[in-house]
Amino acid sequence: MKRRKFIQLGSALAGYGLLATSCSNHTKRKIAGEIIGASSQTGHLLRDKQFETPPISEQKEVVIVGGGISGLSAARWLHRNGQTDFLLLDLEKHTGGNASSGTNAVSAYPWGAHYIPIPNNDLPEYTDFLTECNVITGRDEKGLPVYNEYHLCSDPQERLFINGNWQDGLIPQYGLSPEEKSEVKRFLQQMQTFREAKGNDGKDAFAIPVDSSSNDPLYTSLDNITMAAWLQQENYHSKYVQWYANYCTRDDFGTRSDVISAWTGIHYFAARKGNGANAKHDDVLTWPQGNGWLAEQLSSPLQPYIRTNALAVKIIPGDKQATVVYYDINTHTLKAVAAKQCILATPQFINNRLLDNKVRTALVDAHLHYAPWMVANLTVSQLKERDGAPLSWDNVLYESFGLGYVDATHQQLQQLKPKRVLTYYLPLSTNTPKEERLAAYKRSHEDWINILLGDLKKVHPDIEEKIERADVMVWGHAMAQPLPGLMHGDTRRRLQESINNQIHFAHTDLAGISIFEEAFYQGIGAAKKVIGS
Amino acid sequence: MEQKKSNEQWLLLTAVFIIATCGLIYELVAGTLASYVLGDSVTQFSTIIGVYLFSMGVGSFLSKYFNKHLLTWFIQIELLVGLIGGFSSIILFLTFPVAASFRLILYAVVFFTGMLVGLEIPILMRILKDKVEFKDLVSKVFTFDYIGALLASLIFPLLLVPYLGLMRTSLFFGIMNVLVGMYLLQKFKTEIVRNTALKVAAVLFLLAELVAFVLSDKIMHFSESLVFNDPIIYSTSTPYQRIAITRNKKELKLFLNGNLQFSSFDEYRYHEALVHPPMLAAHNPKKILVMGGGDGLAVREILKYPSVESVTLVDLDAAMTKLFSTQPVLLNINHSSFLNPKVKIYNQDAFIWLRNNHDVYDCAIIDFPDPSNFSIGKLYSYSFYQLLGRALSPNGTAVIQSTSPYVAPKSFWCVDETLKAAGFVTVPYHNYVPSFGEWGYIMAMKQPGYQAPDSFPAGMRFINKETMQQMLNFPEDMKTHQKLAINRLNNQSLVEYFEQEWGNYLDQ
Repeated sequence: MKRRKFIQLGSALAGYGLLATSCSNHTKRKIAGEIIGASSQTGHLLRDKQFETPPISEQKEVVIVGGGISGLSAARWLHRNGQTDFLLLDLEKHTGGNASSGTNAVSAYPWGAHYIPIPNNDLPEYTDFLTECNVITGRDEKGLPVYNEYHLCSDPQERLFINGNWQDGLIPQYGLSPEEKSEVKRFLQQMQTFREAKGNDGKDAFAIPVDSSSNDPLYTSLDNITMAAWLQQENYHSKYVQWYANYCTRDDFGTRSDVISAWTGIHYFAARKGNGANAKHDDVLTWPQGNGWLAEQLSSPLQPYIRTNALAVKIIPGDKQATVVYYDINTHTLKAVAAKQCILATPQFINNRLLDNKVRTALVDAHLHYAPWMVANLTVSQLKERDGAPLSWDNVLYESFGLGYVDATHQQLQQLKPKRVLTYYLPLSTNTPKEERLAAYKRSHEDWINILLGDLKKVHPDIEEKIERADVMVWGHAMAQPLPGLMHGDTRRRLQESINNQIHFAHTDLAGISIFEEAFYQGIGAAKKVIGS
Repeated sequence: MEQKKSNEQWLLLTAVFIIATCGLIYELVAGTLASYVLGDSVTQFSTIIGVYLFSMGVGSFLSKYFNKHLLTWFIQIELLVGLIGGFSSIILFLTFPVAASFRLILYAVVFFTGMLVGLEIPILMRILKDKVEFKDLVSKVFTFDYIGALLASLIFPLLLVPYLGLMRTSLFFGIMNVLVGMYLLQKFKTEIVRNTALKVAAVLFLLAELVAFVLSDKIMHFSESLVFNDPIIYSTSTPYQRIAITRNKKELKLFLNGNLQFSSFDEYRYHEALVHPPMLAAHNPKKILVMGGGDGLAVREILKYPSVESVTLVDLDAAMTKLFSTQPVLLNINHSSFLNPKVKIYNQDAFIWLRNNHDVYDCAIIDFPDPSNFSIGKLYSYSFYQLLGRALSPNGTAVIQSTSPYVAPKSFWCVDETLKAAGFVTVPYHNYVPSFGEWGYIMAMKQPGYQAPDSFPAGMRFINKETMQQMLNFPEDMKTHQKLAINRLNNQSLVEYFEQEWGNYLDQ
């Protein structure tokens, strides 16, 4: 019954596909901008081409493949521990992965992840890093971290357009009946109970990194059902609660609540326990360029070790050393580096192509599915506003197929901002990832603009005239989907095992959820294996 | 035949009735509007009624010069009354804020409508004189005239002003006049000369009034944005704000976006209280920083100290500082303070400027608008005050204008708490500024042990040793015992307090 409701919701969301075709004839003027690829064309070389192995031209102790947060974190950890004979390869012009960013005359802006929640206090390596980059400026008398006010998200943080009005905050309140409000309250209270819960092994029921969570079946059994099924089981009937849960799972995991694991859906709420002198667990840290700022903090001291425009094409394990073959995009030549140790900080569907390993390939194909996303950055002049709460950092539309937009200029301090950059997020979660990915690659710039205009005109009727430029990025494989069974099944453990004690793995798809902390600790974990062997 | 004549007679008498109603309505609209904007309703109504009746007499007198085509003239006058009377309130609303001689326009409008109405009755009587017996004619015309006046005087206060408002009332009756004219044009088309031209004119008038009727809210809004109590001597829109300066016999006032910034009548109370306590607390300060204060009045007070070597003023709006550096009437008020070679002006965003600043100042005067939104609220935040601390010498003193502690005690003490959290020792004080009400300031310094000064610079009109003592004393109704949140960039509690307190106050 409830499930059918979700399917109905899903098909309502599917409307955006139709919207694109029906609206495309009505665009009054061509909006400037382009589709910016996460080098998918270069990446597809890997899929479509066979590569020879050239003679070895270089010798390194360690080669890290992939310059996302996992790879950069691994590099940082090696460097801090005295390992300076290493090389990091990345196929893009700049490192950063999902935390990449862009910049124009108005502001820097994110192309992917754009914030971190207040860190849990039991993650010393992580808080050390944040202290290094002055996000944590000190400790108060109770030992609680003091967060840099310039990096904490400025007030007003979030608003939701619901029942014809912008309300403050994202949890539906405006226009709800007392019964619906009390159901929302019950949901939040239940999440708070999960936040405090400990398993029979004494561990937190929901922890970060996910692998330090309790193994108590009372909680791990939640990984066997979907979030939507769990909501039904717990008698949540309000469409507002269902919308909010679905919004949250799409926001963090690009995955609808009727397909995501309930354990992961709850983890989104229950794993955040941070507490600071001037911030609580529901506060966030953000920058105009999003997590691109953190990626810069990680990468800037490591520049001598980073080689960009370098597409790894083959990893060959050996007795004493592994051979890493990469394609130098600058010179159009294949090169080979010998490394005693290798860290693959690349997603597992890529590793399938780098490594000739049938067991891993079968596991990955069976269990890991990657959600596609579209992200657009819109440079706009002053927009017309609906009634209610003023423009905030995160601006969400109730029951929209998109996730709304984030104002990249929000953290700018000046009084007047005649122009802003708005980052629009759309997880392509209506159909299967594969179907969505194929459809996404076919859409033109104009198609994407019509999709997002159809969404945003509800709240800014004049947005079409006010957009000066709109660039679009399509992430074909943005993040692994935490479907039931992934978190507490066997797959992740098996994929995390090193090969020959020589090739190690670090990526958020091995954690199952794509969040900064997981990437950070994936990198440290792999680096520790390198140092230990 | 007889029946037709009788019909025509009643038709024309109905026209008299409508003309009489409309005429009185225009008069009442003018009187009410003049009372609204000029005050003194007794004077306004009596002069307007006088002018109106007199101008009707003028119209009656002039009627003898109309000898041919009486019906055509009647209709032409009818249309003209509809146009002038209908638009009279819009003309008056729009010209009041911008025209120096508003009264001239007011009486001209009243005079012309009165004269036209005055013309109509005699002309109509002459049209009807061959159709009705004289004693009957006089009786009927004046009966309808006076009934129309009674109707007007009753529906104007009971129905029209409450439901339509002044602007739509005059337009509504303008439309009635034009419709009557159009109907008569149609009815007597054979007797009218230039029939087509008149019809076109009538349709155009009607359309203009209908459009104005529909848009009356917008016109009203626009005119209200122009309306100040005193004549405007200067107004301009900059990229940041609308600046307006008004003047009457007593005082000159500056408005930014319609909010009063100062009145020349009592601004000395505000600026003496804002500037002298921190300047004296800083003990012979040399380098002074002013943020906001683009009117140069704080700088005027600062320059009274011979120890001052430089004044750095940061104000966002170049148009504002230019205005107060060039206009003679304003230079007169700020004593040409911006022209003093010690003064350097930066037209930059205050937060960005302070963050990039590496100089140290002995005294800082912070004179921003009240924290009424999240944008301005940042300039009252913990982070801003941390930067302020960095910009202040060890013995330096800053002062923050901190809204009214009487209207908004939580807001005022929230600024105090925030300054303390940023490491300052604070000295809050307040005084009475008639234009603003009870107003508050907070001194912020790095060293404890503030001593109120024994003497102030010569020539002070408000501040002295005794008033300073009074200013430091806060009665119970300017305090709050609630625990207040510090105003931070990520939690702008001050904006919430401010909205709540001033919102409640203005609702009363």
